[in-house]
Amino acid sequence: MAIYETVYIARPDLSTKQVEELTKKFSDLLSANKGKVLKTENWGLRALAYKINKNKKGHYVLIECETDAPTLLEAERLMRLEEDVMRFLTLKLDQPTTDESAMLRGNDSSYDKKEAA
Amino acid sequence: MADDRDQKKTFFRRSKSCPFTGENAPNIDWKDVKLLERFISERGKIMPSRITNVSQKKQRELANAIKRARFMALMPYVQIETDNSRRR
Repeated sequence: MAIYETVYIARPDLSTKQVEELTKKFSDLLSANKGKVLKTENWGLRALAYKINKNKKGHYVLIECETDAPTLLEAERLMRLEEDVMRFLTLKLDQPTTDESAMLRGNDSSYDKKEAA
Repeated sequence: MADDRDQKKTFFRRSKSCPFTGENAPNIDWKDVKLLERFISERGKIMPSRITNVSQKKQRELANAIKRARFMALMPYVQIETDNSRRR
């Protein structure tokens, strides 16, 4: 069992509810086989830095989970098949994160804090 | 004009030590776009460490983070000059 974070970008024409359903689907997958989801973050509809599949925007969702490799690979395979997911990235983490990610912290980047201090 | 340039870019400000070393130093995270933006040029290229004074070890980490952010469309691969609005 290891800790992973997955961020995926869903198509912009999905409704918020559809994105939630999609997130739930992947969360259920990842928490199968004794895994568990540690954190879910919805970054909302964000503008992309460049177009992906002719889309300018996308729904970003982050899922942090503790699971084993075969389950993760299966989830990745399904994400690849899922047409509503434009892109995803999964990374292994050394330890679970405690705070919300930098994306939701907004203006308060840790760099600014250092300069202010 | 010079003012907002200073705020955005680290071109002229040369700190003596690596900005990612020492206590209080920020963690390099590919999701922290605000932080990573300071280490790319106006064109969107990764700044060389001789300008930003990032240590070799951290520069590798930083480059990786920027590349991940690019893949996830959080940052541009190339920034077109006519496009003045810096997208987030």
